[in-house]
Amino acid sequence: MEGTFIINGKEKTLNFNADERLVITLRNNGYTEVKNGCSEGECGACMILLDEKPVHSCQIFTASVQNKNIQTVKGIGDLYLPHIIQNAFVEAGAVQCGFCTPGFIVATYALLNENPNPTEEEIKQAINGNLCRCTGYVKIIDAIKNAAKSIQKERASL
Amino acid sequence: MNNLKWYFPKTIKEATDLITKEKVLPHAGGTALLLRNLEKINGLVNLSDLPLYYTKKEDNTIEFGSMNTYADIISKLKKIDTENILLKSLQNSADTPLRNRITIGGSIAFAPPWSDIIGALIVLDTKIILSGKNEGVFPIEEYLKNNKLKQDSLITGIRFNLSKWKTFSYRNIRTKKDMPAFHIVVMLQIENDIILESKIVITGTVNRYDWMKEIENYLKSREIDIIEFSKIEEMVDVKFSGKRFTDPEYSRKLAGIELSRGIKKLVRES
Repeated sequence: MEGTFIINGKEKTLNFNADERLVITLRNNGYTEVKNGCSEGECGACMILLDEKPVHSCQIFTASVQNKNIQTVKGIGDLYLPHIIQNAFVEAGAVQCGFCTPGFIVATYALLNENPNPTEEEIKQAINGNLCRCTGYVKIIDAIKNAAKSIQKERASL
Repeated sequence: MNNLKWYFPKTIKEATDLITKEKVLPHAGGTALLLRNLEKINGLVNLSDLPLYYTKKEDNTIEFGSMNTYADIISKLKKIDTENILLKSLQNSADTPLRNRITIGGSIAFAPPWSDIIGALIVLDTKIILSGKNEGVFPIEEYLKNNKLKQDSLITGIRFNLSKWKTFSYRNIRTKKDMPAFHIVVMLQIENDIILESKIVITGTVNRYDWMKEIENYLKSREIDIIEFSKIEEMVDVKFSGKRFTDPEYSRKLAGIELSRGIKKLVRES
């Protein structure tokens, strides 16, 4: 099959099998920042934003999301122009092996877009679709709190 | 790879015509279809272009289009009925990214034994709106029991009444990520320290779900101060298969304890 998608703001036409999952299509086309973890919608490593909402790309048939807006972690920020959230994760030491990090960044981005001042409980809710086997979550939650503060500060200074 | 074909209808009529084809299934959120062997399916009908994302509220009745996701329904119910039993059941179901994908229509059509919403929909006496061969409005219990209703028909919406009843939802899980072994839902109508009516259902039993009629009768018109909670525990007489997690008798005991705790919590809050 062939289909068109808006990926990180750019229109892309991709080829994929009819029963292919989105995580595979994205990775086959160079979007390897989307990690293929459990393939069962448990770990969140493959998380992307689909029309601005966080979803597991391993739980989506590629064919079903043609013409939709897809944003990967690199659409949020990259090595050369990191987003506040990405900087906050580095500064808080919230990254160890790093495999889960793209998913956590995407989940955090979706949360802070909707709710720039989340409570700890709301943070936990927002990342309940992401697993990290290294950090124990404490530093991740610290990073999200710090990112929220930085975003609020940045907005206040505008 | 098989010869799976995708269809993208723009109208409900087109969609219902397509699902009459052999081995062609509707695709809503798609999460349940991922569990199926696609080699046996000829085609999938993507419902995402259909006008089924609507919400209608008329007086005391609310209707959701079947393509509303769990997250959509949570956000809409939170604004109008924070005590709603469907809201409470959905909030604990799956996780944030899955709730952004699972649709209410797809979830009812699939209705697995571990469903978190079936109990809530039953106690709310939800009506299922069908298009296609079995066009009409059907009570949820009839829809669940009568497989013929599912043939060549598409769920286009659900409808139920909003109420002021107190509600409680408990899902039996080992970890937050688990699908529940069973789910208890309770609705109590309490006025002036008297329980006027109650609706109690446990899902995940060998019968798929059971009404707790004996407990409902016990609670009817009873003053909250004279409820014997240990009696409620003993009245839970349901059978579990034991296929999930643990011993069926242990699950029965646990269901009794959790149901009793839930009713106690609601009574204390009233």
